[in-house]
Amino acid sequence: MDKQTKIFEILEARNRQDKSLDVSVDAGYTEEEIPAPSPRFEKLINIYYQMKNTIDMEIPYWYNRVWWENEGDVPEIRRAKAYGAALAHTTPTIWPGELLVMNKTKNWRGAFPFPWVDASFFNAQAEALLAEAEAPALAEADRMSVVGAGGGNVTESYGNVVSIAQKFGLRKEEVPILVKISRYWDNCSIEVVTQKYSEAIPDYYKYKAYRDTVLVMFDSWAIPQGREIINYYMPLEYGFDRIIEMCDEKIAEILGLAENGDGLLGMSRGYYYMAMKEITKGLSAWADNYGKRAESLAECEPDPQQKKEYEDIAVVMHNIAHKQPSTFREALQLTFLCHLAVVNEDPQSGQSIGRLGQVLQPFYEKDLEDGTITEEEAIELLELYRIKITSIECFASSGVTGGVLSGNTFNNLSLGGLARDGLTAVTPLEYLIVEAGTRARTTQPTLSVLYDEKTPEEFLMKAARCCKGGQGYPAWMNNQCGMNYMLRHYHDEGMTVEDARAWCLGGCLESSPGCFLPLHYNGKTTWIPGGAAPTAGTGIHFTGLPKLLELVLTNGVDKRTGIKVFEPHNRELKTMDDVWDVWMDYMTELCDISLKVNNIQMDIWRKNNPPVVASLLKPDCFTKGQTLSNMGCRYNSTINFESCGTVTFINAMASLKKNVFDEKKYTLDEMMDALEHNFGFKTAFETGVFSPDRREATDEAVKYEKIFTDCVNAPKFGNADPYVDDLMVHYEDLMTALMPTLKSYYGKPLYMCQISVSTHGPQGAITLASADGRLAGVTYADGSVSPAANTDKNGIYAVFTSATCYDHSRNQNAQMNVKIHPSAVAGINGTRKLLDVIRAYMRKGGFHVQFNITSSKTLREAQKKPDDYRDLMVRVAGFTQYWCEIGKPIQDEVIYRTEYEM
Amino acid sequence: MKHYECKHFLALDCEKGMCAVSRMIVPLDGEGSDACPNFECGKLCKFCAKFHDADSHGIGTCSGFEKETWAYGDCGAFCCENFENA
Repeated sequence: MDKQTKIFEILEARNRQDKSLDVSVDAGYTEEEIPAPSPRFEKLINIYYQMKNTIDMEIPYWYNRVWWENEGDVPEIRRAKAYGAALAHTTPTIWPGELLVMNKTKNWRGAFPFPWVDASFFNAQAEALLAEAEAPALAEADRMSVVGAGGGNVTESYGNVVSIAQKFGLRKEEVPILVKISRYWDNCSIEVVTQKYSEAIPDYYKYKAYRDTVLVMFDSWAIPQGREIINYYMPLEYGFDRIIEMCDEKIAEILGLAENGDGLLGMSRGYYYMAMKEITKGLSAWADNYGKRAESLAECEPDPQQKKEYEDIAVVMHNIAHKQPSTFREALQLTFLCHLAVVNEDPQSGQSIGRLGQVLQPFYEKDLEDGTITEEEAIELLELYRIKITSIECFASSGVTGGVLSGNTFNNLSLGGLARDGLTAVTPLEYLIVEAGTRARTTQPTLSVLYDEKTPEEFLMKAARCCKGGQGYPAWMNNQCGMNYMLRHYHDEGMTVEDARAWCLGGCLESSPGCFLPLHYNGKTTWIPGGAAPTAGTGIHFTGLPKLLELVLTNGVDKRTGIKVFEPHNRELKTMDDVWDVWMDYMTELCDISLKVNNIQMDIWRKNNPPVVASLLKPDCFTKGQTLSNMGCRYNSTINFESCGTVTFINAMASLKKNVFDEKKYTLDEMMDALEHNFGFKTAFETGVFSPDRREATDEAVKYEKIFTDCVNAPKFGNADPYVDDLMVHYEDLMTALMPTLKSYYGKPLYMCQISVSTHGPQGAITLASADGRLAGVTYADGSVSPAANTDKNGIYAVFTSATCYDHSRNQNAQMNVKIHPSAVAGINGTRKLLDVIRAYMRKGGFHVQFNITSSKTLREAQKKPDDYRDLMVRVAGFTQYWCEIGKPIQDEVIYRTEYEM
Repeated sequence: MKHYECKHFLALDCEKGMCAVSRMIVPLDGEGSDACPNFECGKLCKFCAKFHDADSHGIGTCSGFEKETWAYGDCGAFCCENFENA
């Protein structure tokens, strides 16, 4: 008798009906082989693998043309006209075999520039190309960022294709178009205008030093939208024709009136509805054009099945161009249309899909009732949806695209959590979303499970099974932690328990507020969740905490560049308290100055470039008659401080504390001398290895051997050691106290966002050796509570104890990455074991955990032969990316992460 | 004529497209980029009666709308409400 059977005998003897221990019996779940994805998916994903990232100029052309035709118009109306015209004129491409259609541009995979946001980069590059001159030197952050050379990235020019931002291919004949359009914006892009006003800040030169030394990475205007949850409610409830009618009704009612006696924004309501009408017309025309294109293709199509598929596409597109969707397929297509419309509105990443399986459940349920769809047909559509979302690209400089995003756009789809009534929100459709993600392995949408004790075991097991596929999703979020954060941070804006239940991930790990709205469909009312706030990610950007510590030790000067970043503190650092004091002084100054600059950047953006699609979709913009710029959203306290390298910083502090201040083995000068000389080793740039995987000694190594050993052996975070964990608590206490003193351009308090995305690569690259034994140029530790690779010696539960040494619900997130060897979670017992690990962390209060279930050996092989591993994916931070499209520093870091065997 | 100028051309990326009829992937440049005998003229600005005076970069004038302005010849015009075959 095996152990499990024995357990059941005992349970039955005790009249226990709960057989949840045996998922294979009670939940009907067995660890069967994962079915292959549909042939349609296979065919289309194989085309995707051959696609190059491509820039297209149609949308910029039409946007530019109509914008200037409407010079002098009210900004939101002018923008709605320009963007609506751009969507309505872009070439609709439909490829044979597709059921879901629409793309960012006419090409399969790619994007387009936004010179109205950022013209200088394109102008500088394109002018040089036109003149057949050398491309100008890249900005420092761009230079330090390495884009993966494989897959669809166009990292070098060839033939008639010009490489832009080390990622995109642009046809040579389109370079003059890019130049011509960009020139219009030379003096009035968001970048230029914000620069003008930022420079008026007396301390602006200090911000420039932060950026030039890559202490702070990237500006808010670079990606002004995203890291938020979209909301599909308006078109799903009303359809575009009815929205246009409602705009007309509102215009007739209030245009010309300062509503509610509001002398500042009262008049804006009339303009808002006029703008919403314009953009809705554009969205409707965009959908209709795809319908027309499908009809045109059907006319010439000899194959009857393909002809029928084109005709069906035409019906879907014409219907959603005007009415509330009438099927699950139409609803899915409409949400994808809205998604593209938002991500095409600005350069952006992290426009999260939200809890799609809950939003679309009523449509799926009706189709099932009507017998017009099967589970397998729904899974096929969801597989195709994965290709569509994976094809979304963001066009920005290489520093942003490669250094921050690793080429990903973080379209996160959340699952689970709680419904408005406080019961589990899991729907049957969410099981199919997980199934599609298990079968059809693509980088996007990445999946995130909002883990709650009320989440059905069967669903959790299914998600854990998916996780074992090695594709890095789903990530696991603590639902109660997220709700507590919502109630804590958005309390002053009236956050209710019901709305707190609607939260989910905006971007990769940016917890964002939402709300429930009543969808009337199929004779029922269903409260569906969706985003209710603007971007939760544009404030003080990725600040390298270890770099800041380095500057404390160098008296404010960046040794790498010679730039004076801070005024010399000239303090003798006699105690750890002295180090903390100066570090916080520098941090406070950095926050004060960076905040002002970024506030200006976002304020100019919202004034000159007000988002129109987002302002149509986000509650309560339409109800209030105010754009997102005018705080039309229900919640607006969304701006944050982003940190990078937390654990490297804490480990370095632990080493200083132990080796310099407590045990006094070395003076601070001796420590600084060792750091400046990289402990006698070659730097990462000299060896080409960006992890501690391999070190090469120089002749000086002997001199620093002892101090290096002591630094490496100093206490490390992740071992349940209070000596170092207490430093993390102190850091969190200091920063949590600082945040509310900082106010965003919405006049709301900031909070901490502890994600590194990929910035631990370039920011590690610009940091000298650190006191924890990390060598110069080596990436920082990933995540915010993940131990530095291979420094955790006491097992995974010790890691969890360290990670939860403070209350995670204080902040927007806390990132934990774990790498597990596949053999450790093999079979159904392995799935159970994986879920037990996740549950243990959630119950300790961990906010987030995600897994790479892959072997370092495989990754090393893939690094040597990328062409043999085109579809290999890894979890980097809050996102999954194709291995071959990641830069080498991050590849090295992922390879070297601690591999658990449990 | 080139594949990309054909009615049946479906754009894929900066180096290739697909023929909607043959389902073949076709290059934009070099060998194999010339259109086949079944070529039918697609809708591009350069094939419109209201596009004229193109320069060496293919940038000309569009007089199809109330406000005359510049346009580029290879711009897709499938969705242009004022497109007229030249």
